Amino acid sequence: MPEPDRDPELPLFRDADETVQAIHQGDVDAVVVMRDLEGPEVILLHGAEEPYRVLVERMSDGALTAGPDGVILYVNDRLCELTGSPSAHLVGRHLASLFEGEPPNLTPDVTAEARLLRNGDDAMPVAVWSRPIAIGSTTAILVRLTDLSIHRRAEQLAAAERFARSVLEQATEAIVVLSPGGHITHASWRAEQLAERPPVGCTFSAAFPLEAQNAEGSATLARFSTGSIDTILATRPFHGVEVKLRGECNAQSTYLLSAGPLVDDNRVSVGSIVTLTDMTERKRAEEQQTMMVAELNHRVKNILAIVQSVASQTMRSSGSLENFADAFSGRLKALATAHDILTETRWIGVGLSELVAAVLAPYRSPDDSRVSILGPAILLPTRAVVPLSMVLHEMTTNAAKYGALSTRRGNIEISWQVSGGSDKSVELVWQERGGPKLEAGASAGFGTKLIDRVISYDLDGKTRVDFDSAGVRWTISFPVGGRVAA
Amino acid sequence: MTEQDGYNLRLYVAGQTPKSIAAVANLKKICEQHLPGRYEIEIIDLMKDPALAMRHQIVAIPTLIRQLPEPLKRIIGDLSNTDKVLVGLDIRPN
Repeated sequence: MPEPDRDPELPLFRDADETVQAIHQGDVDAVVVMRDLEGPEVILLHGAEEPYRVLVERMSDGALTAGPDGVILYVNDRLCELTGSPSAHLVGRHLASLFEGEPPNLTPDVTAEARLLRNGDDAMPVAVWSRPIAIGSTTAILVRLTDLSIHRRAEQLAAAERFARSVLEQATEAIVVLSPGGHITHASWRAEQLAERPPVGCTFSAAFPLEAQNAEGSATLARFSTGSIDTILATRPFHGVEVKLRGECNAQSTYLLSAGPLVDDNRVSVGSIVTLTDMTERKRAEEQQTMMVAELNHRVKNILAIVQSVASQTMRSSGSLENFADAFSGRLKALATAHDILTETRWIGVGLSELVAAVLAPYRSPDDSRVSILGPAILLPTRAVVPLSMVLHEMTTNAAKYGALSTRRGNIEISWQVSGGSDKSVELVWQERGGPKLEAGASAGFGTKLIDRVISYDLDGKTRVDFDSAGVRWTISFPVGGRVAA
Repeated sequence: MTEQDGYNLRLYVAGQTPKSIAAVANLKKICEQHLPGRYEIEIIDLMKDPALAMRHQIVAIPTLIRQLPEPLKRIIGDLSNTDKVLVGLDIRPN
Protein backbone atom coordinates (compact mmCIF):
# COMPACT_ATOMS: atom_id res chain seq x y z
CA MET A 1 0.00 0.00 0.00
CA PRO A 2 1.46 3.32 -0.95
CA GLU A 3 2.23 6.03 1.66
CA PRO A 4 -0.58 8.57 1.86
CA ASP A 5 1.77 11.44 0.90
CA ARG A 6 3.68 9.48 -1.73
CA ASP A 7 3.15 10.31 -5.40
CA PRO A 8 1.28 7.24 -6.70
CA GLU A 9 2.68 7.79 -10.17
CA LEU A 10 6.28 7.33 -9.06
CA PRO A 11 7.30 3.71 -9.37
CA LEU A 12 9.10 2.46 -6.30
CA PHE A 13 12.88 2.12 -6.75
CA ARG A 14 12.57 2.62 -10.44
CA ASP A 15 15.73 4.65 -10.44
CA ALA A 16 17.63 2.67 -7.82
CA ASP A 17 20.49 1.92 -10.13
CA GLU A 18 20.82 5.47 -11.18
CA THR A 19 20.83 6.58 -7.53
CA VAL A 20 23.57 4.18 -6.55
CA GLN A 21 25.61 5.19 -9.57
CA ALA A 22 25.21 8.87 -8.78
CA ILE A 23 26.42 8.33 -5.23
CA HIS A 24 29.39 6.34 -6.46
CA GLN A 25 30.26 8.98 -8.99
CA GLY A 26 30.13 11.71 -6.40
CA ASP A 27 27.22 13.49 -8.07
CA VAL A 28 25.42 13.87 -4.75
CA ASP A 29 26.54 15.21 -1.37
CA ALA A 30 23.59 14.14 0.77
CA VAL A 31 21.33 11.12 1.08
CA VAL A 32 18.01 10.45 2.77
CA VAL A 33 17.81 7.46 5.08
CA MET A 34 14.73 6.06 6.78
CA ARG A 35 14.78 5.66 10.54
CA ASP A 36 12.25 3.29 12.00
CA LEU A 37 10.85 5.71 14.54
CA GLU A 38 12.01 9.15 13.50
CA GLY A 39 11.14 8.84 9.80
CA PRO A 40 13.38 10.13 7.01
CA GLU A 41 16.68 11.85 7.88
CA VAL A 42 19.12 13.73 5.67
CA ILE A 43 22.72 12.58 6.00
CA LEU A 44 25.32 14.93 4.59
CA LEU A 45 28.30 13.34 2.83
CA HIS A 46 30.87 15.62 4.44
CA GLY A 47 33.79 16.87 2.47
CA ALA A 48 36.75 19.06 3.34
CA GLU A 49 34.59 22.17 2.85
CA GLU A 50 32.17 21.24 5.66
CA PRO A 51 33.83 23.39 8.38
CA TYR A 52 33.64 26.38 6.07
CA ARG A 53 29.98 25.74 5.30
CA VAL A 54 29.18 25.64 9.04
CA LEU A 55 31.21 28.79 9.48
CA VAL A 56 29.17 30.60 6.84
CA GLU A 57 25.91 29.28 8.28
CA ARG A 58 26.75 30.57 11.72
CA MET A 59 28.67 33.74 10.93
CA SER A 60 27.41 37.04 12.32
CA ASP A 61 27.64 38.71 8.91
CA GLY A 62 25.14 38.16 6.15
CA ALA A 63 26.37 35.94 3.29
CA LEU A 64 25.00 34.89 -0.06
CA THR A 65 26.07 33.05 -3.15
CA ALA A 66 24.95 34.30 -6.54
CA GLY A 67 25.34 32.74 -9.96
CA PRO A 68 27.32 34.44 -12.71
CA ASP A 69 24.08 36.10 -13.84
CA GLY A 70 23.57 37.65 -10.41
CA VAL A 71 20.69 35.36 -9.38
CA ILE A 72 20.87 34.48 -5.68
CA LEU A 73 21.47 30.76 -5.09
CA TYR A 74 22.01 30.69 -1.37
CA VAL A 75 21.62 32.96 1.67
CA ASN A 76 22.66 32.30 5.25
CA ASP A 77 20.40 32.78 8.28
CA ARG A 78 21.97 36.10 9.22
CA LEU A 79 21.11 37.63 5.85
CA CYS A 80 17.52 36.47 6.33
CA GLU A 81 17.53 38.30 9.67
CA LEU A 82 19.03 41.43 8.16
CA THR A 83 16.55 41.59 5.28
CA GLY A 84 13.58 40.37 7.28
CA SER A 85 12.79 37.85 4.51
CA PRO A 86 12.93 34.05 4.59
CA SER A 87 15.45 32.20 2.48
CA ALA A 88 12.76 31.08 0.02
CA HIS A 89 11.97 34.71 -0.80
CA LEU A 90 15.56 35.62 -1.41
CA VAL A 91 16.82 32.64 -3.46
CA GLY A 92 16.07 33.19 -7.11
CA ARG A 93 15.98 37.01 -6.86
CA HIS A 94 18.61 39.12 -8.52
CA LEU A 95 21.36 40.33 -6.23
CA ALA A 96 20.77 43.97 -7.23
CA SER A 97 17.18 43.84 -5.94
CA LEU A 98 18.46 43.56 -2.35
CA PHE A 99 19.73 47.14 -2.35
CA GLU A 100 18.19 50.56 -2.24
CA GLY A 101 19.24 52.65 -5.23
CA GLU A 102 22.39 51.73 -7.12
CA PRO A 103 23.67 48.22 -6.27
CA PRO A 104 27.25 48.08 -5.00
CA ASN A 105 30.05 47.60 -7.50
CA LEU A 106 31.31 44.07 -6.81
CA THR A 107 35.05 44.11 -7.31
CA PRO A 108 36.81 41.02 -5.89
CA ASP A 109 38.17 41.60 -2.39
CA VAL A 110 37.11 45.25 -2.35
CA THR A 111 34.64 46.43 0.27
CA ALA A 112 31.93 48.82 -0.88
CA GLU A 113 29.12 50.47 1.04
CA ALA A 114 25.45 50.12 0.14
CA ARG A 115 22.00 50.28 1.69
CA LEU A 116 20.30 46.92 2.21
CA LEU A 117 16.51 46.92 1.82
CA ARG A 118 14.63 45.46 4.74
CA ASN A 119 11.13 44.06 4.80
CA GLY A 120 8.93 46.67 6.47
CA ASP A 121 11.77 48.78 7.77
CA ASP A 122 14.22 51.45 6.72
CA ALA A 123 17.18 50.48 4.58
CA MET A 124 20.28 49.53 6.54
CA PRO A 125 23.85 50.63 5.79
CA VAL A 126 26.02 47.60 4.97
CA ALA A 127 29.59 46.95 3.91
CA VAL A 128 29.62 44.61 0.89
CA TRP A 129 32.60 42.35 0.13
CA SER A 130 32.72 39.80 -2.65
CA ARG A 131 34.90 37.13 -4.24
CA PRO A 132 34.30 34.71 -7.14
CA ILE A 133 34.15 31.01 -6.18
CA ALA A 134 33.81 27.78 -8.12
CA ILE A 135 30.86 25.56 -7.22
CA GLY A 136 31.19 22.39 -9.21
CA SER A 137 31.53 23.53 -12.78
CA THR A 138 29.82 26.89 -12.07
CA THR A 139 31.62 30.12 -11.22
CA ALA A 140 29.59 31.94 -8.61
CA ILE A 141 30.07 35.02 -6.46
CA LEU A 142 30.36 34.85 -2.71
CA VAL A 143 29.08 38.07 -1.11
CA ARG A 144 29.44 39.06 2.50
CA LEU A 145 27.28 41.86 3.97
CA THR A 146 28.28 43.47 7.25
CA ASP A 147 25.71 45.47 9.20
CA LEU A 148 27.16 48.95 9.50
CA SER A 149 24.24 50.33 11.53
CA ILE A 150 25.79 48.82 14.66
CA HIS A 151 29.09 50.53 13.84
CA ARG A 152 27.30 53.77 13.00
CA ARG A 153 25.32 53.57 16.21
CA ALA A 154 28.52 52.84 18.12
CA GLU A 155 30.14 55.85 16.47
CA GLN A 156 27.14 58.02 17.36
CA LEU A 157 27.21 56.76 20.93
CA ALA A 158 30.94 57.38 21.15
CA ALA A 159 30.45 60.91 19.80
CA ALA A 160 27.59 61.51 22.26
CA GLU A 161 29.75 60.16 25.07
CA ARG A 162 32.63 62.46 24.08
CA PHE A 163 30.20 65.40 23.92
CA ALA A 164 28.73 64.62 27.34
CA ARG A 165 32.20 64.19 28.86
CA SER A 166 33.30 67.48 27.34
CA VAL A 167 30.27 69.24 28.85
CA LEU A 168 30.98 67.69 32.24
CA GLU A 169 34.65 68.58 32.08
CA GLN A 170 33.89 72.21 31.25
CA ALA A 171 31.07 72.60 33.78
CA THR A 172 31.95 74.80 36.74
CA GLU A 173 29.16 73.26 38.83
CA ALA A 174 29.36 69.86 40.49
CA ILE A 175 27.30 67.59 38.23
CA VAL A 176 27.00 63.82 38.48
CA VAL A 177 25.03 61.28 36.48
CA LEU A 178 23.36 58.52 38.49
CA SER A 179 22.28 55.11 37.23
CA PRO A 180 18.73 54.02 38.16
CA GLY A 181 20.33 52.09 41.02
CA GLY A 182 21.79 55.27 42.50
CA HIS A 183 25.44 54.74 41.52
CA ILE A 184 27.47 57.52 39.94
CA THR A 185 28.39 56.82 36.33
CA HIS A 186 29.81 60.22 35.36
CA ALA A 187 31.11 63.18 37.34
CA SER A 188 32.17 66.68 36.36
CA TRP A 189 35.61 67.96 37.27
CA ARG A 190 34.12 70.10 40.04
CA ALA A 191 32.19 67.10 41.42
CA GLU A 192 35.41 65.10 41.62
CA GLN A 193 36.98 67.97 43.56
CA LEU A 194 34.12 68.07 46.07
CA ALA A 195 33.68 64.34 46.54
CA GLU A 196 35.00 62.66 49.63
CA ARG A 197 36.31 59.78 47.47
CA PRO A 198 36.59 59.10 43.71
CA PRO A 199 32.88 59.40 42.90
CA VAL A 200 32.39 57.17 39.83
CA GLY A 201 31.05 53.80 40.99
CA CYS A 202 30.00 55.05 44.44
CA THR A 203 26.49 55.82 45.58
CA PHE A 204 25.77 59.55 45.79
CA SER A 205 25.51 59.50 49.58
CA ALA A 206 28.88 57.74 49.89
CA ALA A 207 30.66 60.25 47.66
CA PHE A 208 28.85 63.33 48.99
CA PRO A 209 27.82 62.96 52.67
CA LEU A 210 25.19 65.66 53.20
CA GLU A 211 24.15 67.87 56.08
CA ALA A 212 21.07 70.04 55.81
CA GLN A 213 21.72 73.79 55.80
CA ASN A 214 18.54 74.75 57.61
CA ALA A 215 15.69 73.22 59.61
CA GLU A 216 13.48 72.80 56.54
CA GLY A 217 16.24 71.04 54.60
CA SER A 218 17.06 68.96 57.64
CA ALA A 219 13.46 67.79 57.81
CA THR A 220 13.52 66.97 54.10
CA LEU A 221 16.73 64.98 54.35
CA ALA A 222 15.60 63.26 57.54
CA ARG A 223 12.55 61.90 55.76
CA PHE A 224 14.82 59.68 53.73
CA SER A 225 17.31 57.18 54.96
CA THR A 226 20.76 57.25 53.36
CA GLY A 227 19.76 54.40 51.09
CA SER A 228 16.54 55.93 49.91
CA ILE A 229 17.99 59.37 49.18
CA ASP A 230 20.17 57.66 46.57
CA THR A 231 17.04 56.03 45.12
CA ILE A 232 15.11 59.29 45.18
CA LEU A 233 17.92 61.26 43.55
CA ALA A 234 18.18 58.58 40.88
CA THR A 235 14.49 58.29 40.11
CA ARG A 236 12.59 61.48 40.94
CA PRO A 237 12.96 65.22 40.33
CA PHE A 238 14.40 66.79 43.47
CA HIS A 239 14.87 70.53 43.79
CA GLY A 240 15.98 73.26 46.04
CA VAL A 241 17.33 71.82 49.26
CA GLU A 242 20.24 73.77 50.68
CA VAL A 243 22.88 71.43 52.05
CA LYS A 244 26.38 71.40 53.37
CA LEU A 245 28.91 68.71 52.61
CA ARG A 246 30.65 67.06 55.48
CA GLY A 247 34.37 67.56 55.75
CA GLU A 248 36.64 70.45 56.68
CA CYS A 249 37.23 71.62 53.12
CA ASN A 250 33.51 72.15 52.54
CA ALA A 251 32.57 73.48 55.99
CA GLN A 252 32.18 77.08 54.83
CA SER A 253 30.28 76.32 51.64
CA THR A 254 26.56 75.97 51.01
CA TYR A 255 25.14 74.01 48.05
CA LEU A 256 21.75 73.76 46.42
CA LEU A 257 20.94 70.09 45.76
CA SER A 258 18.80 69.32 42.69
CA ALA A 259 18.10 66.24 40.58
CA GLY A 260 16.29 65.72 37.30
CA PRO A 261 15.61 62.67 35.15
CA LEU A 262 17.97 61.55 32.40
CA VAL A 263 15.95 60.11 29.51
CA ASP A 264 16.97 58.16 26.44
CA ASP A 265 15.79 58.54 22.83
CA ASN A 266 12.49 56.88 23.72
CA ARG A 267 11.86 59.26 26.64
CA VAL A 268 12.47 56.43 29.09
CA SER A 269 14.30 57.37 32.28
CA VAL A 270 17.75 55.81 32.41
CA GLY A 271 18.95 57.56 35.56
CA SER A 272 19.25 61.14 36.70
CA ILE A 273 21.45 64.21 36.65
CA VAL A 274 22.25 65.62 40.07
CA THR A 275 23.74 69.07 40.56
CA LEU A 276 25.30 70.66 43.59
CA THR A 277 25.23 74.41 42.92
CA ASP A 278 27.64 76.40 45.04
CA MET A 279 25.47 78.95 46.85
CA THR A 280 28.23 80.32 49.09
CA GLU A 281 28.80 83.60 47.24
CA ARG A 282 25.08 84.08 46.68
CA LYS A 283 24.41 83.52 50.37
CA ARG A 284 27.11 86.00 51.28
CA ALA A 285 25.67 88.55 48.84
CA GLU A 286 22.19 88.02 50.31
CA GLU A 287 23.50 88.45 53.83
CA GLN A 288 25.42 91.57 52.80
CA GLN A 289 22.34 92.97 51.10
CA THR A 290 20.22 92.31 54.20
CA MET A 291 22.85 94.01 56.32
CA MET A 292 23.05 96.97 53.93
CA VAL A 293 19.29 97.45 53.97
CA ALA A 294 19.30 97.38 57.77
CA GLU A 295 22.20 99.83 57.84
CA LEU A 296 20.48 102.14 55.36
CA ASN A 297 17.31 102.02 57.42
CA HIS A 298 19.28 102.86 60.52
CA ARG A 299 21.06 105.75 58.84
CA VAL A 300 17.89 107.22 57.37
CA LYS A 301 16.33 107.14 60.81
CA ASN A 302 19.44 108.80 62.26
CA ILE A 303 19.40 111.52 59.64
CA LEU A 304 15.70 112.16 60.14
CA ALA A 305 16.33 112.41 63.88
CA ILE A 306 19.20 114.84 63.23
CA VAL A 307 17.05 116.91 60.85
CA GLN A 308 14.21 116.95 63.34
CA SER A 309 16.54 118.01 66.14
CA VAL A 310 18.26 120.66 64.01
CA ALA A 311 14.88 122.01 62.86
CA SER A 312 13.44 122.32 66.35
CA GLN A 313 16.65 123.81 67.84
CA THR A 314 17.02 126.24 64.94
CA MET A 315 13.40 127.26 65.33
CA ARG A 316 13.91 128.05 69.01
CA SER A 317 17.03 130.16 68.35
CA SER A 318 15.74 131.99 65.29
CA GLY A 319 14.17 135.41 65.73
CA SER A 320 12.31 135.32 62.45
CA LEU A 321 11.19 132.92 59.79
CA GLU A 322 13.84 134.36 57.49
CA ASN A 323 16.60 133.64 60.00
CA PHE A 324 15.24 130.13 60.47
CA ALA A 325 15.22 129.50 56.74
CA ASP A 326 18.86 130.67 56.32
CA ALA A 327 20.18 128.76 59.29
CA PHE A 328 18.20 125.60 58.62
CA SER A 329 19.12 125.38 54.94
CA GLY A 330 22.80 125.96 55.80
CA ARG A 331 22.75 123.14 58.32
CA LEU A 332 20.96 120.80 55.92
CA LYS A 333 23.59 121.64 53.32
CA ALA A 334 26.35 120.71 55.78
CA LEU A 335 24.58 117.43 56.38
CA ALA A 336 24.32 116.84 52.64
CA THR A 337 28.02 117.66 52.13
CA ALA A 338 29.00 115.12 54.76
CA HIS A 339 26.88 112.48 53.07
CA ASP A 340 28.29 113.32 49.67
CA ILE A 341 31.79 112.78 51.00
CA LEU A 342 30.82 109.55 52.68
CA THR A 343 29.18 108.30 49.49
CA GLU A 344 32.24 109.16 47.41
CA THR A 345 34.43 107.24 49.81
CA ARG A 346 31.90 104.34 49.92
CA TRP A 347 31.36 104.86 53.64
CA ILE A 348 34.83 103.64 54.43
CA GLY A 349 35.82 106.88 56.12
CA VAL A 350 37.04 110.35 55.25
CA GLY A 351 40.31 112.17 55.78
CA LEU A 352 39.96 115.02 58.30
CA SER A 353 41.78 117.38 55.92
CA GLU A 354 39.33 116.61 53.09
CA LEU A 355 36.32 117.11 55.35
CA VAL A 356 37.54 120.50 56.59
CA ALA A 357 38.36 121.58 53.04
CA ALA A 358 34.93 120.54 51.76
CA VAL A 359 33.01 122.42 54.48
CA LEU A 360 35.13 125.59 54.12
CA ALA A 361 35.39 125.46 50.31
CA PRO A 362 32.92 128.37 49.73
CA TYR A 363 35.12 130.66 51.89
CA ARG A 364 38.56 129.75 50.64
CA SER A 365 40.38 132.16 48.31
CA PRO A 366 42.51 130.85 45.46
CA ASP A 367 45.74 131.55 47.41
CA ASP A 368 44.37 130.09 50.65
CA SER A 369 45.29 133.32 52.46
CA ARG A 370 42.01 133.45 54.47
CA VAL A 371 41.73 129.85 55.49
CA SER A 372 44.71 127.66 56.25
CA ILE A 373 44.44 123.97 57.06
CA LEU A 374 47.34 122.21 58.81
CA GLY A 375 47.56 118.79 60.31
CA PRO A 376 48.70 115.19 59.83
CA ALA A 377 46.69 112.86 57.64
CA ILE A 378 44.04 111.05 59.63
CA LEU A 379 41.14 108.90 58.53
CA LEU A 380 37.95 109.75 60.43
CA PRO A 381 35.67 106.90 61.42
CA THR A 382 32.42 106.91 59.43
CA ARG A 383 30.31 107.71 62.49
CA ALA A 384 32.35 110.87 63.13
CA VAL A 385 31.93 112.39 59.66
CA VAL A 386 28.37 113.78 59.94
CA PRO A 387 28.72 115.21 63.47
CA LEU A 388 32.10 116.76 62.71
CA SER A 389 30.74 118.18 59.47
CA MET A 390 27.90 119.82 61.39
CA VAL A 391 30.36 121.21 63.97
CA LEU A 392 32.64 122.66 61.27
CA HIS A 393 29.59 124.11 59.52
CA GLU A 394 28.49 125.87 62.70
CA MET A 395 31.98 127.29 63.29
CA THR A 396 32.14 128.48 59.69
CA THR A 397 28.66 130.06 59.88
CA ASN A 398 29.57 131.82 63.13
CA ALA A 399 32.81 133.07 61.59
CA ALA A 400 30.91 134.35 58.53
CA LYS A 401 28.30 136.09 60.62
CA TYR A 402 30.27 137.41 63.56
CA GLY A 403 33.93 136.41 63.28
CA ALA A 404 36.96 136.43 61.02
CA LEU A 405 35.06 135.74 57.81
CA SER A 406 32.73 138.71 58.42
CA THR A 407 35.56 141.21 57.66
CA ARG A 408 37.79 141.54 54.64
CA ARG A 409 41.07 141.07 56.59
CA GLY A 410 40.07 138.22 58.84
CA ASN A 411 41.46 134.72 58.49
CA ILE A 412 41.13 131.33 60.09
CA GLU A 413 43.78 128.75 60.90
CA ILE A 414 42.55 125.22 61.45
CA SER A 415 45.16 122.81 62.78
CA TRP A 416 45.16 119.51 64.59
CA GLN A 417 47.38 117.01 66.24
CA VAL A 418 47.02 113.33 66.91
CA SER A 419 47.96 111.90 70.28
CA GLY A 420 47.67 108.62 72.13
CA GLY A 421 48.76 105.07 71.44
CA SER A 422 46.26 102.46 70.35
CA ASP A 423 43.33 104.72 71.29
CA LYS A 424 44.23 107.80 69.33
CA SER A 425 42.53 111.12 69.78
CA VAL A 426 42.52 114.32 67.77
CA GLU A 427 42.87 117.82 69.17
CA LEU A 428 41.64 120.33 66.64
CA VAL A 429 42.18 124.10 67.12
CA TRP A 430 40.03 126.59 65.20
CA GLN A 431 41.78 129.95 65.54
CA GLU A 432 40.21 133.10 64.10
CA ARG A 433 42.18 136.28 63.59
CA GLY A 434 41.40 139.78 62.31
CA GLY A 435 37.68 139.68 62.98
CA PRO A 436 35.56 141.96 65.10
CA LYS A 437 36.35 141.93 68.81
CA LEU A 438 34.05 139.46 70.57
CA GLU A 439 33.36 138.65 74.17
CA ALA A 440 32.51 135.41 75.82
CA GLY A 441 28.82 134.63 75.54
CA ALA A 442 28.34 136.91 72.59
CA SER A 443 27.63 134.06 70.26
CA ALA A 444 26.25 131.46 72.63
CA GLY A 445 23.29 130.80 70.37
CA PHE A 446 22.19 127.45 69.01
CA GLY A 447 25.40 127.21 66.98
CA THR A 448 27.56 127.10 70.09
CA LYS A 449 25.12 124.80 71.86
CA LEU A 450 25.09 122.48 68.88
CA ILE A 451 28.89 122.35 68.85
CA ASP A 452 29.02 121.53 72.54
CA ARG A 453 26.29 118.94 72.29
CA VAL A 454 27.58 117.19 69.21
CA ILE A 455 31.19 117.00 70.38
CA SER A 456 30.12 115.77 73.77
CA TYR A 457 27.41 113.27 72.80
CA ASP A 458 28.10 112.22 69.23
CA LEU A 459 31.90 112.30 69.22
CA ASP A 460 32.44 111.56 72.91
CA GLY A 461 34.83 114.52 73.04
CA LYS A 462 35.41 117.87 74.74
CA THR A 463 35.06 121.50 73.67
CA ARG A 464 36.62 124.69 74.86
CA VAL A 465 36.07 128.15 73.48
CA ASP A 466 38.33 131.13 74.21
CA PHE A 467 37.82 134.73 73.19
CA ASP A 468 41.20 136.43 73.14
CA SER A 469 42.33 139.63 71.54
CA ALA A 470 43.03 138.02 68.18
CA GLY A 471 39.65 136.39 67.89
CA VAL A 472 37.68 133.34 68.91
CA ARG A 473 39.50 130.03 69.40
CA TRP A 474 37.76 126.68 69.57
CA THR A 475 39.69 123.71 70.90
CA ILE A 476 37.90 120.38 70.40
CA SER A 477 39.23 116.95 71.09
CA PHE A 478 37.68 113.57 70.32
CA PRO A 479 38.84 109.93 70.01
CA VAL A 480 39.32 108.35 66.59
CA GLY A 481 40.60 104.88 67.58
CA GLY A 482 43.67 103.70 65.66
CA ARG A 483 42.74 105.23 62.30
CA VAL A 484 45.81 107.28 61.38
CA ALA A 485 46.37 107.15 57.63
CA ALA A 486 49.69 105.93 56.33
CA MET B 1 1.78 28.66 -20.25
CA THR B 2 -0.57 25.80 -20.69
CA GLU B 3 -0.49 22.63 -18.70
CA GLN B 4 0.45 20.74 -21.81
CA ASP B 5 3.62 22.56 -22.81
CA GLY B 6 4.64 23.84 -19.32
CA TYR B 7 7.38 22.26 -17.22
CA ASN B 8 6.68 21.92 -13.53
CA LEU B 9 9.98 21.03 -11.87
CA ARG B 10 10.76 20.24 -8.29
CA LEU B 11 14.36 20.26 -7.09
CA TYR B 12 15.19 18.55 -3.82
CA VAL B 13 18.24 20.01 -2.09
CA ALA B 14 19.95 19.59 1.30
CA GLY B 15 20.43 23.10 2.71
CA GLN B 16 23.40 24.83 1.15
CA THR B 17 25.64 21.92 0.22
CA PRO B 18 27.86 22.76 -2.78
CA LYS B 19 26.00 20.34 -5.07
CA SER B 20 22.66 21.69 -3.94
CA ILE B 21 23.75 25.24 -4.73
CA ALA B 22 25.24 24.15 -8.04
CA ALA B 23 22.05 22.25 -8.94
CA VAL B 24 19.90 25.36 -8.29
CA ALA B 25 22.19 27.50 -10.44
CA ASN B 26 22.45 24.98 -13.26
CA LEU B 27 18.72 24.30 -13.35
CA LYS B 28 17.85 27.98 -13.57
CA LYS B 29 20.41 28.51 -16.32
CA ILE B 30 19.13 25.57 -18.39
CA CYS B 31 15.49 26.58 -17.96
CA GLU B 32 16.16 30.19 -18.98
CA GLN B 33 18.04 29.02 -22.07
CA HIS B 34 15.76 26.19 -23.22
CA LEU B 35 12.38 26.76 -21.58
CA PRO B 36 12.00 30.53 -21.28
CA GLY B 37 8.56 31.38 -19.92
CA ARG B 38 7.53 27.76 -19.88
CA TYR B 39 8.67 26.46 -16.57
CA GLU B 40 8.05 26.60 -12.81
CA ILE B 41 10.67 25.53 -10.32
CA GLU B 42 9.94 24.58 -6.72
CA ILE B 43 12.96 24.09 -4.54
CA ILE B 44 12.47 21.77 -1.54
CA ASP B 45 15.04 21.94 1.24
CA LEU B 46 15.02 18.52 2.91
CA MET B 47 17.28 19.79 5.69
CA LYS B 48 14.31 21.77 6.91
CA ASP B 49 11.67 19.11 6.44
CA PRO B 50 13.10 15.62 5.65
CA ALA B 51 9.58 14.15 5.57
CA LEU B 52 9.02 15.82 2.21
CA ALA B 53 11.47 13.25 0.75
CA MET B 54 8.83 10.55 1.03
CA ARG B 55 6.52 11.95 -1.64
CA HIS B 56 9.03 11.34 -4.44
CA GLN B 57 11.08 8.64 -2.70
CA ILE B 58 14.15 10.84 -2.67
CA VAL B 59 17.30 9.01 -1.65
CA ALA B 60 20.12 11.07 -3.13
CA ILE B 61 20.40 14.83 -3.01
CA PRO B 62 20.23 16.82 -5.18
CA THR B 63 17.45 15.23 -7.18
CA LEU B 64 15.30 16.93 -9.82
CA ILE B 65 11.76 15.68 -10.42
CA ARG B 66 9.83 16.63 -13.53
CA GLN B 67 6.20 16.67 -12.38
CA LEU B 68 4.80 18.09 -15.61
CA PRO B 69 4.59 17.21 -18.38
CA GLU B 70 3.90 13.65 -17.46
CA PRO B 71 5.32 11.13 -16.99
CA LEU B 72 7.39 11.87 -13.92
CA LYS B 73 11.13 12.03 -14.59
CA ARG B 74 14.01 11.96 -12.13
CA ILE B 75 17.56 13.31 -12.58
CA ILE B 76 20.11 12.90 -9.78
CA GLY B 77 23.15 15.12 -9.38
CA ASP B 78 24.13 18.79 -9.62
CA LEU B 79 22.76 19.11 -13.20
CA SER B 80 26.16 20.28 -14.45
CA ASN B 81 25.86 18.00 -17.50
CA THR B 82 23.46 20.10 -19.57
CA ASP B 83 23.01 17.49 -22.32
CA LYS B 84 22.05 14.85 -19.77
CA VAL B 85 19.50 17.23 -18.26
CA LEU B 86 18.00 18.16 -21.63
CA VAL B 87 17.62 14.52 -22.57
CA GLY B 88 16.37 13.52 -19.12
CA LEU B 89 13.67 16.18 -19.25
CA ASP B 90 12.71 15.29 -22.81
CA ILE B 91 13.59 18.79 -23.96
CA ARG B 92 16.02 17.35 -26.48
CA PRO B 93 15.47 13.95 -28.07
CA ASN B 94 18.01 11.30 -27.20
